Amino acid sequence: MHGAVVDIVSTLSTAGYLFIVSAGLTLIFGAVRVINLAHGSFYMYGAFLLTTIVGLSSGTKFWLAVPVCALALAALGALVEVTVMRRLYEREHLTQLLATFGLLLIFGDLALHLWGTGARTVAPPVPFHGRFTLAGATVPAYDIVVIGVAALVGAGLWLLLTRSMFGWRIRAAVSDPETLACAGVNTKLLMTMVFALGAGLAGLAGAIVSPQSSVAPGIDQAIIVSAFIVTVIGGLGSILGSALGALLIGLAETLGTRYVPDWASTVIYVVLIVVLVARPSGLLGAPER
Amino acid sequence: MAETLLQLYDVTRSFGPFVAVSGVDLGVEAGSIHAVIGPNGAGKTTLFRVITGVLRPTRGRVVFAGEDISGKRTHAIARRGLSQSAQITSLFPRLSVLENVQAAIVSRSRRSSDVASWFHWSTRAEAIEMLERVGLASSAGLEAKVLSHGDQRALEVAVALATRPRLLLMDEPTAGMSPFETEAMVALIAKLRHEENLTVLFSEHDMDVVFGISDRVTVLAQGRVLADGTANEVRANDEVMAVYLGAPE
Amino acid sequence: MAGEAVLPRRPTRLVRSNGSGVGRLATARLIATPIVVIGLLALLGRTLSINNVLTLEEVLGLAVFAMATNLLLGYGGLVSFGQAAFYGSGAYMIGLSWLHHWMSFWPAFVLTPVVGAVAALLMGLIALRTRRLYFALLTLAFSELFYQLVNVRYSFTKGATGIFAVSMIPASLAQPRTGYYFTLGVASAAILLLWKITVSPFGLVLRATRENRERAEAIGVNVFRHQLLAFVISGAFCSLAGALFAVYGQSTYPDLLNWTTSGQPLFMAVIGGMFVFLGPALGALLYQVGFQYITQHTHDWQLVLGGALLLVVLFRPDGLSGLVLSNPFASLRRRIRGADSGVTEAEATSILEQVPATVTPRSVDQREQMEVPPDG
Repeated sequence: MHGAVVDIVSTLSTAGYLFIVSAGLTLIFGAVRVINLAHGSFYMYGAFLLTTIVGLSSGTKFWLAVPVCALALAALGALVEVTVMRRLYEREHLTQLLATFGLLLIFGDLALHLWGTGARTVAPPVPFHGRFTLAGATVPAYDIVVIGVAALVGAGLWLLLTRSMFGWRIRAAVSDPETLACAGVNTKLLMTMVFALGAGLAGLAGAIVSPQSSVAPGIDQAIIVSAFIVTVIGGLGSILGSALGALLIGLAETLGTRYVPDWASTVIYVVLIVVLVARPSGLLGAPER
Repeated sequence: MAETLLQLYDVTRSFGPFVAVSGVDLGVEAGSIHAVIGPNGAGKTTLFRVITGVLRPTRGRVVFAGEDISGKRTHAIARRGLSQSAQITSLFPRLSVLENVQAAIVSRSRRSSDVASWFHWSTRAEAIEMLERVGLASSAGLEAKVLSHGDQRALEVAVALATRPRLLLMDEPTAGMSPFETEAMVALIAKLRHEENLTVLFSEHDMDVVFGISDRVTVLAQGRVLADGTANEVRANDEVMAVYLGAPE
Repeated sequence: MAGEAVLPRRPTRLVRSNGSGVGRLATARLIATPIVVIGLLALLGRTLSINNVLTLEEVLGLAVFAMATNLLLGYGGLVSFGQAAFYGSGAYMIGLSWLHHWMSFWPAFVLTPVVGAVAALLMGLIALRTRRLYFALLTLAFSELFYQLVNVRYSFTKGATGIFAVSMIPASLAQPRTGYYFTLGVASAAILLLWKITVSPFGLVLRATRENRERAEAIGVNVFRHQLLAFVISGAFCSLAGALFAVYGQSTYPDLLNWTTSGQPLFMAVIGGMFVFLGPALGALLYQVGFQYITQHTHDWQLVLGGALLLVVLFRPDGLSGLVLSNPFASLRRRIRGADSGVTEAEATSILEQVPATVTPRSVDQREQMEVPPDG
């Protein structure tokens, strides 16, 4: 019983940050049909930026720093969209993959200059830096934070997409951008905002996860692979799909570490392969064009 | 030559609750030119896609040269001698005009997995001849995508012919063509039937083309067969006039 | 053949498509080119410094890797981010055979293409059921899976440490110039074989499947099977390239299998030009030489590589061989004359009547060349 609770929390916590990152990626893909490898860079920058802000003045609240990181990355995302991403919208996927890989490399290099080559750590904020007893099992308290933020993000996205004008426009843009433009909506601005939102989510994920793992060069490349796998499992363009995918991967990783620790790092790939064999377009995805 | 080359039995195709084609019985005689007409949305394209294996029939059978081909995969059906030139021009854009035809010949000759020979160089003569038949021999070296629309449709026919089909399906062959191009296409179809004994099943909106050249006409409306007979019989059919043509010529 | 000189923007020696009745001039060029190129490279093997010879040796192996990948990319329209799985497998075949005393170098070397082919068959059967982006990501996952498997099984593969041993290859090959000639020989044979495949009937049909999958099916081509065959061939040659790497570096390590290594032949093909046969080889040369030059002068090689990649992909999708082969004035003249196809019917007729279709024709707008029609 204790084991199960620990596993559940661990699964949800992993699924949580994977969902936040992947939701951003799949949102962008759904809206503008672009695959952005530099999404990993946004994640890494969010994490590094948090370490900088928290390190700046000892009194700075963690909780203030997190939204700042998210917003900063949203702004960076908007900048990237306007300068580079726009030119990739109608292009082939290979072009997008290679171009954004180029961006990934560029951002990676800049990060070395900005933050150096070493790893950084951040302690979890005070109320949550210990362990926590839940139904008789002890779990890291910070896991609860991650789960909570992920749930908020999920709810927020759902509300945004189904209840707000912005969300309605995004969905319209996905199905028929030309008609939308004729209706007077500034589709270019819309795309920029969607991209910014996605980037902001990646930055948020990076910031939120920083107390749990070390922040170092290379996490951009590592996270982008995981994010892609989650997004593809769920089906490109489907946010609900990435939630499912994140849960599936979170579960697989937790169980993998527990039962086959030697092979734990291979589990995520095996899951992807199995899912795509059964459903070549992902769990909730539609075949492309 | 009263052999029925293609026979559809009660062919039905639905997409969920929407029934695109319903209970279609249709027979195409070998060596004939058979037209399928009907208003937009009548199900002509869906019917053709069922025949060529792109879609499986929800119900019913498609029998070609005595063999049940219902639901077989497209390439398997093509190998049995049923070829199509598509409604939306569908070529190999960056291959040359010549290569477009050569690819079809290579495939027909079952040499498409041949990694070692120069076989397709020897297909050049036949490919050029194919192009001459549709009047494109002079464009052999051009990329397919730079051809004019009419020429692209002609190339499509050449490619379909290169598979040496017994039955050629053409979905709106004169769509988007100028009168001049249309005449050329009609002459080509007639020539093919005469010289090759090719059987042609085509769908059309242009009534001049339909009544000028067809032996038999089948009228579809809302997925069902409304009328079926010789060109004259159909032309005289009032129901057809009312549903489809509005006012006669 | 007077017509040949006039036709604008034809890649001349670097690509051959099909068409019988190849003129005598063209045939002569066809035979002479490899002889000249290989002869030149052999000569360089004697005259360059040891360091440069080693660089060239590495480039040759990478060229095979890139060209094998381009069979899928440029000819088949398949973006695989998993070719490193085969490349690494080839290298590990040599390394593990030595480590576990399975067999001596020569049998192992000869077997590497087989290893690659088998792995590619298994991977292809699974991966080719998906399309486009899903395919790219699935192959990427396979590449990472291989990487993790090798990393994890330390006892079997020496894990992250890798296998470093000069004695994994015969002593003669460890000598730089001998190793170079060996690599030159193997690479030349491999590239000639690849060329033969691209100009075969299979090559033509493969390009057709790239252009329009549905239409290919409609003319009776089982697209899945053809893509699988291409995948297997590519896997075999990528594996061979990996074995060549083992000869060059006398080492093998897990990074050879990960997805960023899979990305390298893709960059090389794109930078060099993926619709030109030798384009990826050019890309391999530029990449490797460029990489060495940049790392000597700056730590920011990632910045430069990333920037170069971005710029090439955005503005020169034809790759740099497009620059080499194009005749900018012909293009300008045609644009001024107007007409959407760039060549009037009359011109085309007179030019083409006598000319065999021995080359892949180019269209006016090069920017479109990178784009595959949206039918998957």
